[in-house]
Parts: sequence; structure tokens; C-alpha cells
Amino acid sequence: MVRKSFVLTAAMLLSGCVAYSAVAPGTIDYSGLKVTSAQAWNVAPGVAGGALRKDSLQWTQDGLLLDRIVFIPAVADGETLFRVSSGADALPSFQADMLPNEIEEIVESSIVKLFAQGEVSVDTQNLRPHKFGETQGVLFDMQMAVSDGPDYSGITGAFVNGGKLYVIIYLGAQPYYFDKHKDEALAIIRGARL
Amino acid sequence: MRCIAIATLLLLSLSLKAGDADLTPKIPPGYKPDGANDEKGMWLELEEYERAIQRSPLLVKDPYINAYVRDVTCRVTGEYCADLRIYVIRNPYFNASMTANGIVQVWTGLLLRVSSEDELAAVLGHELAHYTQLHTMDRLRRTTKAATSGSIFDMGLLVLTGVSVPVGQLTALASLMAYSRGDESEADLLGAKFMADAGYDPHAAADLWKKIVDEDANAVAKGTEPGLFSKTHPSSADRIVELNRFVDENFPEATADPANKQSHLDMLNAYYLMLMEDQIDTNRFGRTEVLLDRHRQMGVQEELVHFFHGEMYRQRDEAGDMEFAIKAYTLAAQGDNPVPDAYRNLGYIYLKQDNLPQAQYNFRQYLELEPDADDRAMIEFYLNED
Repeated sequence: MVRKSFVLTAAMLLSGCVAYSAVAPGTIDYSGLKVTSAQAWNVAPGVAGGALRKDSLQWTQDGLLLDRIVFIPAVADGETLFRVSSGADALPSFQADMLPNEIEEIVESSIVKLFAQGEVSVDTQNLRPHKFGETQGVLFDMQMAVSDGPDYSGITGAFVNGGKLYVIIYLGAQPYYFDKHKDEALAIIRGARL
Repeated sequence: MRCIAIATLLLLSLSLKAGDADLTPKIPPGYKPDGANDEKGMWLELEEYERAIQRSPLLVKDPYINAYVRDVTCRVTGEYCADLRIYVIRNPYFNASMTANGIVQVWTGLLLRVSSEDELAAVLGHELAHYTQLHTMDRLRRTTKAATSGSIFDMGLLVLTGVSVPVGQLTALASLMAYSRGDESEADLLGAKFMADAGYDPHAAADLWKKIVDEDANAVAKGTEPGLFSKTHPSSADRIVELNRFVDENFPEATADPANKQSHLDMLNAYYLMLMEDQIDTNRFGRTEVLLDRHRQMGVQEELVHFFHGEMYRQRDEAGDMEFAIKAYTLAAQGDNPVPDAYRNLGYIYLKQDNLPQAQYNFRQYLELEPDADDRAMIEFYLNED
């Protein structure tokens, strides 16, 4: 199934059936999650999202391998942050009563579990409180190493409202790309609200 | 009944083969392919694969770990050591490999699972045998025939990035293919011989296989998948019997040097946090529990073992697990070498149980032991609640 998806994805990308679209500066509403950007971003087509949930989206400036902001809105109790593919290790599920340390762990563990045999190493740090509008949430930083790829740094914002988890992850390749878009990405994450 | 008969016949044929096995290395130290043949072409591809390994952010650069692995590798491989390049890879799963041109990869998950230098030497001796008997080249040839589009490794990157980066596809695929049963049997026996020649206790090879079987059995009981090494090196009880018989017949006097256990224990104690945090991230609780029990028996610093028991129970969160986690964290926090994070995680558990005074007591203990904690702002947020 994975191989079939890969071939289909590759075929579609090569044939030019899928295209990036642009999102203009301003406020956008994704499944109730309102985010505001000061500059235009490219919205990655769904097929490039790999294991992203149906309601998740990715923005990028210089291409997904170099930088991305991943929006994962409204994850309900018992659901996973990414899609579970057949045969893959089971991803951890969100529980509505999770505390900040557990939200940090579920993000870290979900990314690790996407790579079935340890092809990625993720470390999180600097867990800190942050208010998303009226909702108390957290921010934390991330370091990620991918086999056959660059090092990544990241910032994640997350909060729970109405029993649902909202996550925004910014990842940028090191060196250069993480810092290039960090300020804008952090402003988008910090300014997110319902 | 038919299955038993087939298994018996298979066992008899394997015993016969083991008895007839020619345990002479097929290539000498310093071996390089000559002439224009497929072997030379494959070595060229492997050179490209090696450059990718050297660039990998998962390459462990710590000098202590690298020196430890290099010393054991060179001791067991003897004169072949000069032909090998050794890379320690940060990966929590059990695996080691040696390519036809001498690239040795040792995953950190292997270091977490062996109990002594002897057991590490057992894996490296086994891999050296695949190398000297040209099994690795045979496997690469089989992979070439079987290769189709796409790469298993690239799939992982595709999942997150949506973009495939083809690096070392053939070699990556080969590393996921199993050796034949005959090759495995030959590598078991020749590997044990390499160990004994180097002064290691060859009994450790069967001991290690038993540990792998036990860990797999525990993981299957929890419904998790087998590890990569088990997929590519099928383990079975008859293999342990064959190894034990071979070692008892050929090296009856071999015994383990206690110093080989101590040197491995010293390395584990120095890097336990990093190694176990990666293991915890796999969410494979059955395997983690087996490892922690083993580490406790080995004498790994007990507060660290208690702490990771707490991590496992807290993250598994089955009935009664939170109480087990509280007990384990308490032992980790109150020992002679308290683990600061144990206080923090106790604080979070009590917070979840709506016991704010206990939560704040533990959070304060945490910050006292770890005043520069990177999550200080989060902890202070809860200390300011009332």
C-alpha cells in the first residue's frame, strides 16, 4: 500500500497534476484555527503532505525540504496527529486531559513513529507557557535529525480547547533556512487563536 | 505431525551442514576486487553509500562511544580491522551490519541490548563472518535482481516531507533483506570462532540470541512488531542449540572475563539517558520493560533504571500504571544519585490527579536540583497557581 501510494504520488508530481497555491498576507481560518501572516506563503498541495490528516495543511517559502509550517487543527480525543497507514507502527493518540509535558511528548513521539525504524531522531526542549488568544497553551523548541537529510530546527505551538488539540509546527533546515523564516513563523504560531 | 517431521528433517540437515561447514575465511585481510566485474561496480556504489553515512546527522560523533566500539571491533576482527570503517548510528533499534567493502554500522540500540563486550563481539564476529564469506556480496547481487522502483528508507522521508531523496537505494534495500539460513548458520559458527580467537567468550553468542528471542516474545505478546535485526536475521531455538553445541565441542575451556562486563557497564552508565530516551520514544513498552529488567540485573545505576521504569509506566498508562510510575519516580528521586526529572514528572502526575500541593512540592524539588532547567518557565507557571 505504501509503495502504491509512493508511485501514485511520484507520478502525479512528475506529471504536474498537482500545484502549489499562494496564500496572501492576512488572517486565514483553518477548521476554526485562525492564523495571521505578514507575508505571502505557498500552500503545499495535499498530495505532498504524505501522512498529514485530511484537515492539516503545510505552508512553505523555499520548498518543503527546507522549511514548512504544519497546521494540525482540532485533533479529537483518541485521534492521532498524523494519518495511520496500514502496517506502520501505531501512532500515539491524543487524550483530552493531556498536560503540557504530554503534549510535547506526543508531538515528539508521533514524528519519531512516522519513521518506522529510527530513521529520525527528535529532541524537544524549552517547554514554556503561552496564551493563544484566551486559551492557555504551550510553546517548545525542537531539534530533528533525519537519515539522508539535513538537520532541522523547529518551534511548536499547541493548545487544547473544547477537548480538541491544535498544533502548529515550524521546521527549517539547518544551517540558514530555519533562521531565515523563524521570526515570521514564530509570529504566526504565537498569534494563532480560535 | 507433518510440521514436526519437516522441522526434524530441517534440524538434522542443519546439524549435518554445521558439522561439514568449512570455517575458513574466503577472503584474506586487505582484499579488494580485481578486474572488471560486478563486484567492483558494487564497491563503487557502496562508496557513494558511505559518503551518505558520513553526512548523516544520526552519526554519533562522541569519542568515548566510538573508541569503545572501535576497540571491540578491532579486537574481534584482528587483521581485518584495517579494512573496516566503523560508524555508530543513533538509532534505538537492534542492528549492526558490515558491507562487502568494509563499512561497519553499529546502531545505538544494539549497545543498549548487549550485556558485555563479549556479546557485542558476538554480533560483530557474526557480521565479520558474513563479510569474509562474501555473503554480503551475494545478498547485494540478489537485491540487484529483485530491486524495483522506490526505496524503503526513502519512504520514511517521503512520509514527513512528501519528497523522496534517493540515496543508496540498492544498499538500503539490501540491508533489509535476510541472509539465507545456510549463510546465517555459517556466520554463527565462524563468528564464534572469531570471538574465541580474539579471547572473547563464544558462549556469549548463544546467550545474546536467547535475549533476542526473549525480547521478541515479549514484544509479540504486547502486539508490537519485531525489530529490524530479527527481520533480517531470523532467530530460533534450534540456532541457539547449534551454537551451544559448536562452542562446547570446540571451545570447552572458554570463559568470560568479568572486565568485559564492567567496560560495557561503564559505557552504558555514561550514556544511559541518551540511549534510553530514544528507546522510550519508540513506544514499544514490551521491549522497554525487558531491557529495563536486564539493565537492573546488569547493575546499571539504579536511579536511572527506576526513572525509565517510571517513564514507561506513565506513557503506557494502563490500569494501575500511574501508581507504578509514582513508585518508580520516587525511587529515582530519592536514591543516592537523584534524577531531577523524576521530581518534575511526579509533579505532573500529581497535577493530573488534582493534588496541587504535592505537585508543587515536587516541582520545587525539581528546580532546586535543576535551577537552569530549560522548562523552568513552564514549571514556574504551575508554582504560581493556587
